[in-house]
Amino acid sequence: MKTLKKSGTGAAIDRVEGHLKVMGIAKYASEFPVQNKVYAQGINSTIAKGEIISVDTSEAEKLPGVLKVITFKNAEKLKTFEKEMTPISTTTIAPVLQSNKVHYYGEYIGLVVAETFEQAQYAARLVKFKYKEDPNPVINFDKSRSEAYKPNEKSDYALGDIKAGLSDADEIVEVTYNTPIEHHHPMELHAVIASWENGKVMAYASQQIVEDATIAISDTFQIPKKDVRVIAAFVGGGFGSKLNVERHVILAVMAAKMIGKPVQMTVTRPQMFTNTGLRQHNEQKMRVGAKKDGTLTALSHETLSHTSSTLEYQESCGMVTKMLYKVPNNLVTHRLIPMNIQAPFAMRAPGEATGSFALECAMDEMAWKLKMDPIDFRIKNDTQIDLSTNKPFSSRLLVECLRIGAEKFGWKERKIQPRTHKNGNWLIGYGVSGASRQSPYLKTNAKVILELDGDEVNATIQMDATDIGTGSYTIIAQTASEYLRIPVEQINVELGDSNFPATPGSGGSWGAASFCNGARAACEKAIKTLKANQNIKQDEEVSVADLLKKNKLKRFEAEGSAEPSEAFRNHSVFSFGANFCEVWVDKDTGMYRIKRMVNVGAAGKILNPKTAYSQIIGGLTMGVGMAMAEQTRVEPNFGNFITRSFADYHVPVNLDMANIDVVFLPEEDKIANKMGIKGIGELGITSVAASIANAIFNATGKRMRDLPITPEKLIEAKVEPGITV
Amino acid sequence: MRPFTYTNANNKEQALKGANQNSHYLGGGTNLIDLMKEDVERPDQLININNLDYKKITVNKNGGLTLGAMLSNSETANHLDIRKNYPLLSMAMLSAATAQIRNMATNGGNLLQRTRCPYFFEISMPCNKREPGSGCGAKNGMNALHAIFGYSESCIAVNPSDMCVALAAIGASVEVEKTDGSSRIIEFSDFHRLPGDHPENDTNLMQGELITAIHLSKPIFSDHYYYLKIRERSSYAFALLSVAAGLQLNGGIITEVGLAMGSVAHKPWKLNKAEAYLSGKKPSQANFEEAAELEMIDAKPFKDNKYKVEMGKKAIVRALTQAYERKA
Ligand SMILES: Cc1cc2nc3c(=O)[nH]c(=O)nc-3n(C[C@H](O)[C@H](O)[C@H](O)COP(=O)(O)OP(=O)(O)OC[C@H]3O[C@@H](n4cnc5c(N)ncnc54)[C@H](O)[C@@H]3O)c2cc1C
Ligand code: SF4
Repeated sequence: MKTLKKSGTGAAIDRVEGHLKVMGIAKYASEFPVQNKVYAQGINSTIAKGEIISVDTSEAEKLPGVLKVITFKNAEKLKTFEKEMTPISTTTIAPVLQSNKVHYYGEYIGLVVAETFEQAQYAARLVKFKYKEDPNPVINFDKSRSEAYKPNEKSDYALGDIKAGLSDADEIVEVTYNTPIEHHHPMELHAVIASWENGKVMAYASQQIVEDATIAISDTFQIPKKDVRVIAAFVGGGFGSKLNVERHVILAVMAAKMIGKPVQMTVTRPQMFTNTGLRQHNEQKMRVGAKKDGTLTALSHETLSHTSSTLEYQESCGMVTKMLYKVPNNLVTHRLIPMNIQAPFAMRAPGEATGSFALECAMDEMAWKLKMDPIDFRIKNDTQIDLSTNKPFSSRLLVECLRIGAEKFGWKERKIQPRTHKNGNWLIGYGVSGASRQSPYLKTNAKVILELDGDEVNATIQMDATDIGTGSYTIIAQTASEYLRIPVEQINVELGDSNFPATPGSGGSWGAASFCNGARAACEKAIKTLKANQNIKQDEEVSVADLLKKNKLKRFEAEGSAEPSEAFRNHSVFSFGANFCEVWVDKDTGMYRIKRMVNVGAAGKILNPKTAYSQIIGGLTMGVGMAMAEQTRVEPNFGNFITRSFADYHVPVNLDMANIDVVFLPEEDKIANKMGIKGIGELGITSVAASIANAIFNATGKRMRDLPITPEKLIEAKVEPGITV
Repeated sequence: MRPFTYTNANNKEQALKGANQNSHYLGGGTNLIDLMKEDVERPDQLININNLDYKKITVNKNGGLTLGAMLSNSETANHLDIRKNYPLLSMAMLSAATAQIRNMATNGGNLLQRTRCPYFFEISMPCNKREPGSGCGAKNGMNALHAIFGYSESCIAVNPSDMCVALAAIGASVEVEKTDGSSRIIEFSDFHRLPGDHPENDTNLMQGELITAIHLSKPIFSDHYYYLKIRERSSYAFALLSVAAGLQLNGGIITEVGLAMGSVAHKPWKLNKAEAYLSGKKPSQANFEEAAELEMIDAKPFKDNKYKVEMGKKAIVRALTQAYERKA
């Protein structure tokens, strides 16, 4: 027998699917060699609001290779929204081309299907639309405040009395922060190859949750869910934009049905701005009240955002303010302005990424007012109970993250007074922020197939989970290796097929905990059954190979399922962390460099230090992007996005990144789930921007409250009162 | 993309003969192909000129160097003679785009790269440069990236090239082959133009003319030079504003000064007033500041680009200071 390598959970093994990607064998949605496929190109509206009054497809239809031009005039009838405003979820239908109405600039208004991609692209340019433009599209956030509404009862939250809390305070901070529209922009463009045969749909689609994709597709076409199969074997990033089915998927299925051939549709990079979701602009008004000794008396977090004119999405920016600190008086509200802009949807750490920017900057502003160290201030207001639910945290190492991070970072070297730490033309600043990210855990099913090969057992795990670049394949293999006690090399993981047992897919940082516990349950079930069948005591140690032999089986299958326990429901389950950074700001040009970052996380059991580390690095990088560069700008007269490629939508480059030190505190949270796993994928981005803004204040004395913090804004900003230049 | 014909030119005669009213020469394609994909440029013919033999750096009759039009930006900027004799040009070129784009981009193409005005890039928007008479979307729209000098009613766009800012500071001329077989030399200061009533013309080059070389004057500013590029990320971003500064010193006095600013006008903006002020003076902080004030007093910003005035002052002073201190 081979020696059992250390390959269970906790081992820093290489990705089991890594070689497939490096060798180009791993297939992403648009790479499946489907026979006879043809190509579709979407056409986008060029007005923000109005009606199409005429369509001329004649020129396009004359082109060689063009098979069909689809507009509202000849589109298949689909299920449409029943309400005027529909809350968006991961299973929401995605009707498209169902009327002549235009709701936002860039909305799909047509589709060209052709033999080649190039023909489709060219023909799409030749379809002529005439509009009756609505003269008053809602495209200006500032001017549309009066349209704001409260989406639902859960949008507001109050504890104690905010007014009393503020009047009780010795110091008050009252400031407003803005985060701009951002786009997910995974490297892999959204793509689909769809076919329609005998009333059955097959779609290779870049989706984070295949189960929910089958629901959305079947509901949109009003066909049985069992007749829809979705495959997403590899997904090149999603960041939330692939949680739900976007309209290109429906367009491709529709076209496949109409012309009787498989249709491939790849969303272009400019269309990734207009047709695959976004993170909306959030205006967050913060009020913080505290006693001289640093005791918080009041926290209020009021968010104004926008949604589309038909679909409703509320990013819960105030969520973090409800639970992170101990404060007797707390107010959280969310309001939405319906605008003629594409519907927003969850983007990495929805709520926390943006909410923590406001909260953790406001905390820093208060610490400065109180002349208190921002770490001491946070520690003073720590809580082990989530006051918004009155449930204890399953585990919470925020204070430890802050203390250990401070030590690693050398926080005590920080100069308290801004503009006093200098080096030549550089002003140097240190910043800190606390981080928390909800750690959901959802019901997950998995199948294990055991096959005896001589004295060895090869195992296959099947589940409809996805690997969106995070390492799901690897950690599931490690889990199976641990619970079957066979080397990871003998485990084959198959994911991303809706025919496999259902999982919640990847998103919301629930993937790792859910998938691994699901796989664990299947493995445990297999062993338990094999033992029970032969009257072997459950606690007796027998290898899987021997169990199969004793059962006289060459092959054995078992399905298992894991779901949240009573204890999980009785606790508040979050991952925690702390960010530290050192920033050098050029005193004249407004350009700055992030010199180093320390990130400490307490995120349950670390299944694989390598993949976990990658998640944090990616999160930090996206956090740097959020702080420094990322923003989508809406043209004030036309309502289009003027940022429409990577040349003008800036994400960080290598040179922008710092020396990064990532530390995971040892933690196994058995309340969270049996394996003690919590979420990591989104913790990394949370509050990074706050630590950078706080460091910039420490360097320059300027409070940069509107992201991104660019040279032009830094040049125009004034130092805070009382700070001398 | 629209269909077009594609031909390979193996010599300049073939290239010039192939040219028509709606043809484009294809250099690295890093600007042209992008614009074709966006449907902004719609040539019916592309003439690949990458096989033409304009890929050398040679000594010219002024004692300066001549840069072949088809040499890549990378090869030019990293060439030892350029780094030694025209380090300001090298520094500016290396600050542009990314290594991959610089490997593809040619010197001729760089001279002709078009503005990054977002209205120019989006064909459903009004833009006089793309579609004369359709209006200027930027003037009453988003103009954070736009001009503060030399603009007109019809267009407020800026030239985005880094290389050209350095060329304006050090002085150069452009050699051009005409379709009739003759050639002409265009002074660099006359190469790009202000928008006036014809923003559709970025330069004074005529349709079909082929750029073959950039002539540099004698080596200059090889000791005291600096290219300051202010941008939103450390690489792969166009300048919000840039300054190319070169100084020649003799006995503690500035004998010659080259100053140009980028991303503030329809052409690389030569800082004539500042140059005149500094010439013959001591390289001091006070003089640098005075020069910057003199120049920026003429700036007329729009709603979103007011920051450029303060940024411009700071950038002039900083670039001059860095240039001076580089090797004092
Ligand atoms: C994402 C991105 C970022 C960038 N960032 C920067 C930056 O920061 N700073 C900067 O300065 N530049 C930047 N650039 C622009 C880049 O420098 C230009 O695209 C490049 O210099 C153009 O050269 P090319 O050879 O590729 O030109 P092409 O795209 O081939 O041609 C451009 C134009 O010049 C014409 N042409 C080319 N050669 C000749 C010739 N010999 N005679 C006559 N006409 C000719 C073509 O017909 C075409 O109209 C960036 C580009 C991109 C895509
Ligand atoms: S500034 Fe010039 S390029 Fe931009 S929209 Fe106006 S005319 Fe067009």
